[in-house]
Amino acid sequence: MKVYDGSSQSENARDTDPERAKVGIAEYEVTTNGAVLTTSGLGSCIGVALHDVNTGVSGLVHVMLPTADEMDDDNAAKFADAGTDLLIEEMERAGASRRHIEAKIAGGSDMLDFSGSGSGIGVRNVEKVRETLDSYDIPIVAEDVGGDHGRSLRLESQTGDLVVKSADQSDTRL
Amino acid sequence: MKVDVQSLGTFNQLAHEGAKQATQSMSQMTGIDATVDVTKISLVDRADIGEELGDDTFVGVQFGFEGALGGETVLVFDEISSEKIVEALPGATADPEMAQSSVKEIGNIMMSGFIDGWADYLETAIEHTPPEYIERTGANVLPKAPDASGSDQVFVFRSEVNWLGESVCFYIYMLPEYESLVTLMENHADAGDGAIPVEKLEVFNQMTRKGSEKAAENVEMMTGIQTESEVSQISFCPIEDVPKQIGNDTYVGTVVEFTGTPSGFLLVLFDEASAVTIAEALMPMDPSGDGLTQEHEAAIEELGNIMTSGFVDGWANVLQQSVDHTPPRLVHDMGRAIVDPLAAQLGQHQQHAFIIDSQMKTDEVEFTSEIHALPNEAELREALDKLQVERADQTEANAEEIF
Repeated sequence: MKVYDGSSQSENARDTDPERAKVGIAEYEVTTNGAVLTTSGLGSCIGVALHDVNTGVSGLVHVMLPTADEMDDDNAAKFADAGTDLLIEEMERAGASRRHIEAKIAGGSDMLDFSGSGSGIGVRNVEKVRETLDSYDIPIVAEDVGGDHGRSLRLESQTGDLVVKSADQSDTRL
Repeated sequence: MKVDVQSLGTFNQLAHEGAKQATQSMSQMTGIDATVDVTKISLVDRADIGEELGDDTFVGVQFGFEGALGGETVLVFDEISSEKIVEALPGATADPEMAQSSVKEIGNIMMSGFIDGWADYLETAIEHTPPEYIERTGANVLPKAPDASGSDQVFVFRSEVNWLGESVCFYIYMLPEYESLVTLMENHADAGDGAIPVEKLEVFNQMTRKGSEKAAENVEMMTGIQTESEVSQISFCPIEDVPKQIGNDTYVGTVVEFTGTPSGFLLVLFDEASAVTIAEALMPMDPSGDGLTQEHEAAIEELGNIMTSGFVDGWANVLQQSVDHTPPRLVHDMGRAIVDPLAAQLGQHQQHAFIIDSQMKTDEVEFTSEIHALPNEAELREALDKLQVERADQTEANAEEIF
């Protein structure tokens, strides 16, 4: 993870363009300078986008599995619960306050769930993210979850807008 | 030789860190913000190395290295990427000779970072030769794979580096000498339960080849289009990197879950253009609309089913046991989003994954298809454990003789 504070801005980039950072699966990024954070190809995975409305500090984590419990894995960003915890922690370290953080979430599709039990990983991921955000009293102000299609996300951290793109329909701005 | 899952994981991490270090060196020089997207270790047929590079022209900076690990490594840029990198360098020039020396210089810096990363980790010295600049087509940009003591299959480490905000990327390939890699892996291996004899992985590749040949036969039978199966490889990477192995374009295809030992998922995917072409070859009359219609999707579903059966039959013949699978589910979505729920389902029980890939092509019409299998890792090990490799000295492993 790297915190985008503008110090590594490419000399070639035009001043008006915000920095861009790509967030891979089981990764997260925090920005303090309005960078655009993107992540692609969410199926049952979830993108948790957080934005501090006071300071503008924003972050995005791309989680894959519901819970870190009983898993011998030290990559917190892979899990809905530990990944959300980690993102909040890192944003607070960068100057955000949980009292001013708003959440937007997208993903958690139920496509290709072969379990047949009706509570596939997508659904459980959504539940775990909700539960974790709730424990910090962070409100989910917008969401686009479930369904049976994939999504790609772009968090415009200057405004906190989360743009959700799917393969078959146009962009939705949350 | 045996490799265990843990040491494969460690080596994958190592290659990934090396590639990250190389990328950082480049970013410092050029201001280009790039990230290492994927690193995977593949066991691949010597003849298939670099097949994914197609017929495009590439620029490469190649090195030999020796010491605790010996072999060849190359940094590969497509033409556009190499031009962009040269442009981004301080004192950019249009002079081709200068441009060439810039690429060489940047290659040198990147690859020194890559190799130093390995040496640091292994706490040993790895020397490398001066860089050589090359311009070639497709797989020819890669060095010849070092001798693998009679084996036709070699380990290839491959990292894909993407440039943020630009649609360009480049690759780092490393082809280690078999013997030195084996020794290193053994020294870093935890000789516990997870060890897999490499010969058996090789046999698995052959099984995959058989499966995809059968799938190709089925396509030919149904469509009349002569189809060849190409590239069978088994790769290994962290579970969270599995979706990245598939492009982010939109794909059409089918997914099944298969049961038995091993259990797992099998995907048959077509890019959209290929899906339209192949579906129309199957349709008795012209489609009622443009692009990919429901009629196309129905044809793809049928084709996916036939290809899956062919592939699975190929496996079952070799394993001499039946492999059952669910009815195919039609998918039409972003490539990564299709794979992500499957990786997540496996990821509940494993941290790394084996991915079995093969590809199908035809010269007659524009058509490419990918088959990917994602077996449960522990069960794959179990299946491999049961295989009897009786003639370990034979150079041409034959699946039927071995099983």
